[in-house]
Amino acid sequence: MRLALALASFVILLIHGLVFYNQFFHKWENYQTAYFDQARALSKTDAEKAALAARSPRIEQSLVTKFGDMRVDRCVTCHVAMDDPRFDKHAQPLRTHPYSASLGDTLANGKWERRHKFSDFGCTVCHDGQGRGLKEHYSHGEDHYWPDPLAGYIVQANWRKEFQPKLKGKDYMQANCAQCHTEEGFPGTPMVDRGRKLFFASNCYGCHRIDGLSEGTLGPDLSEVGKKFKTDYLWESVVDPRANLATSFMPKFNLSDDDVRAVVIFLKSRRGINFAETSLERYRAALNARKPSAEAGKEPVLAGAALAARGEKLIADRACTACHKLGQRDGGVAPDLSFEGLMKPQQWIEEHFRNPRATIADSIMPTFRFSDADFAAMSAYLAGLKTAPALPTPAETYKTLCQRCHGEKGDGHGTIAIYLDPYPRDLTKAGFINSKTMDRLSNSVKHGVAGTSMPAWGAVLKDDQVRGVLEYVFATYTKEPRKELKPLKAPDSNPVASNADSIRRGEETFVRRCSGCHGRKADGKGPNSLDILPRPRNLRNSAFVNSVSDRRLFESILYGVQGSAMPSWIDYGLSQNDVGDLVNFIRSINAQSSSRSSNARGN
Amino acid sequence: MSAPATQATKSTSMWTNLRELPANVWRSLFRNPIPSSDLERASTSFTNFFLHIHPVKVHRNTLRPLYSMGLGLISFFLFLILTVTGVLLMFYYVPSTTQAYDRMLDLRGTVAFGIFLRNMHRWSAHGMVGVVVLHMCRVFFTGSHKQPREFNWVVGVLLFLLTLFSSFTGYLLPWDQLAFWAITVGTAIAGYAPVIGKQVQFLLLGDTTVGQEALLRFYVLHVAVLPLVMALLVAIHFWRIRKDGGLSRPEEPAAALAAPGETPVAVLSLAFDAPLEEPVNVMHPPNPAKAPWYFLGLQEMVSYSAFWGGVGIPTIFVLLLLAAPYLERGSAGVGKWFARERLLANTVFLTFALINVIFVIIGTFFRGPNWEFISPFK
Repeated sequence: MRLALALASFVILLIHGLVFYNQFFHKWENYQTAYFDQARALSKTDAEKAALAARSPRIEQSLVTKFGDMRVDRCVTCHVAMDDPRFDKHAQPLRTHPYSASLGDTLANGKWERRHKFSDFGCTVCHDGQGRGLKEHYSHGEDHYWPDPLAGYIVQANWRKEFQPKLKGKDYMQANCAQCHTEEGFPGTPMVDRGRKLFFASNCYGCHRIDGLSEGTLGPDLSEVGKKFKTDYLWESVVDPRANLATSFMPKFNLSDDDVRAVVIFLKSRRGINFAETSLERYRAALNARKPSAEAGKEPVLAGAALAARGEKLIADRACTACHKLGQRDGGVAPDLSFEGLMKPQQWIEEHFRNPRATIADSIMPTFRFSDADFAAMSAYLAGLKTAPALPTPAETYKTLCQRCHGEKGDGHGTIAIYLDPYPRDLTKAGFINSKTMDRLSNSVKHGVAGTSMPAWGAVLKDDQVRGVLEYVFATYTKEPRKELKPLKAPDSNPVASNADSIRRGEETFVRRCSGCHGRKADGKGPNSLDILPRPRNLRNSAFVNSVSDRRLFESILYGVQGSAMPSWIDYGLSQNDVGDLVNFIRSINAQSSSRSSNARGN
Repeated sequence: MSAPATQATKSTSMWTNLRELPANVWRSLFRNPIPSSDLERASTSFTNFFLHIHPVKVHRNTLRPLYSMGLGLISFFLFLILTVTGVLLMFYYVPSTTQAYDRMLDLRGTVAFGIFLRNMHRWSAHGMVGVVVLHMCRVFFTGSHKQPREFNWVVGVLLFLLTLFSSFTGYLLPWDQLAFWAITVGTAIAGYAPVIGKQVQFLLLGDTTVGQEALLRFYVLHVAVLPLVMALLVAIHFWRIRKDGGLSRPEEPAAALAAPGETPVAVLSLAFDAPLEEPVNVMHPPNPAKAPWYFLGLQEMVSYSAFWGGVGIPTIFVLLLLAAPYLERGSAGVGKWFARERLLANTVFLTFALINVIFVIIGTFFRGPNWEFISPFK
């Protein structure tokens, strides 16, 4: 017992010694002592020498109140030679802060005068880092909890390894310059400018809101993104949008590393209200951004070729090809617009422009707030694109028209497939392809599938070309030989009259039997839907539902859809009357349009 | 009785006074000369406030170190460390949402001994929660809570709850992400109580969310209300030990126990800095947001059922604890570890304790983003 007591006492004594040592012997004292000694050796007058000799190490700090909350910057405690031009060749931390004309410093009579005086600005306004700390690890922001590590100098240990080298460089500090120098084209902030241009050129503004700049609503508001997130997170979000949110539908843009860097620096400069503006100015800017510009109503009314020409210019200016394909330019996200005039009437195009989800229920295209005249011009231009491509062979046809969505292997995983909802059909699934009649398949090709991104190729392809490409798909992807199809027993139109009772029964059946996959809201997003490919149909996609015949609905429900997870419900005890109720329910949740019967194709 | 009278009336020279100064100071302090017999030792203890904390007589068997393991005294010493370091920290702390975090940075970087004080305080607080739980287990497994010590057990349970609450209120004060979200989660658990839950939560926070009001309330509770109540209850706890017929803690090696109490805390405080995460960002919760570790068992249970996990089961658990000595009467098995006569009681208690420990371990190490099960070994 006594031994334990003695040992414990000894350990405590030892620890107290260590604690005292830690608390009273600081690295920064050594730096300051070194500075005093070297400066004394360099000084020319006795008075200067005496002044230096009289100084003893102490915590130096500058208190900055001009920029946001009060900043306490103790950086000069170690970097004590900041303003001493004799130390410009020394190693850190005793090196002079560089003088540079580009920072606004002026050289007069061989002496530099700083534009940004440390006593006014402190250090962290430009450099970030933690001004209060006195240990390198903390004050430089190497501690991964610190939100703003030294901009462009420090990468924190938990940042993604492959990004780390890209997140270094002086240009990251431009994000901080832009807190005061907000004007576009300011020579000191080229990367912020480039990033801002890319923000518009890549159509980021269509989805994202930035106070005073853009009004997108599909993606997160980026007004304060630079305050909330570190460069590592920003970089990751730009190049790999699904890294942080698995359900994100933000496209992967094909940007070079330099472009990503510019975008990240631009985003880092977005910190809500900046030092150069008052909160009142900020409010005014936000108000004005919501108003349509004053010229909007005054544009001359154009028609014909002039209108289309204006549309072409608008489409080029607004970087539609950041997502869409148009001629040689391909954003790799959204459908090909090169022969849009052959596939869609102008009215459809304009409707889709104004509200993308009115025509394709699950489109990810942002709703842009352009003027009516602009919508008309752009629609007119697209509707005028009526030059069919040269398609000598079926293989060529598939490659040109189908591959972008249905994929090189025909499995539905084309380059833009993940941005489409519903997903492109997997053409290798023989169960599906071979259970559908030639008529239905060629109809889908010729007339498209309403409510989906499958366009009507009828104006581009002649009937024999359609057959040719289908034969090519059968031979190349489906592979199994087609069999004679037996006609299924199903009524041509719903024998159950649609009334409130029938709809109620249908809804009950739906919730009990169908909602697991199609979801309670019938939007195709039931709890099982994520495990199923092809995904369950969104039955609120009115354009689609209204385009299919009762017979097709009956067949799909009664006998299932081969090559998909839809089972044959006749085997699970649904009678024809039950299905009639279901069909009435499904019809009832989709606005009826008079064009249904004329559009109805089925098989 | 004439000798003191003559002594008092006898005038003395200044020289004699100076010569006798050390002896007089000693006598005024301890009211007795250095004792040389048992009787004198007893008299010294009886007449001195500080020495009186210890009883004059202790049964030989209660002094066996492995019997009580000194857990009660260790928790008392941790309480002392917490009081001393806490008072020193109070000189630097400001309970304001705009200043609290900066003060933490100053404590870490600039204030002499600041980081060491904060570490001591942090690790002692965690240690105290653990030691108090172990102390309670020891008391139960040795049957020491049974009559005549029922009431002291109740005081002990109250002290246990106060320890948890003190630690919980202190958790918010650094005003970093860890603090903010742990308290958000912790007070949300209180909100699950039926009828009064939302009111209790509002009373704690002074607002619907954690903010300046909550910080101020937690601060006042942490530095004034709770320590005072605890000090009072600790005094009653000690006094009752004596009045309930003896204590089950060793007397003589008190210093040795202070040393084992302080040594690990001091070592920890030197080696590991108390965590300080990002400044509070109300818009950006960490995923998962976790309560303090000792409430992670609760949070784990809450993930199954908000009411039962957060309120129902803990309430039942506390009520059972409070009622234990009144339900389990008789003196069978008192003073014996895991007495055969108390097999049932011990098993029930051990089961509850283990379930709690398992839930805390699961909540701490096995829960990742969205409270999904993850393996900590990857």
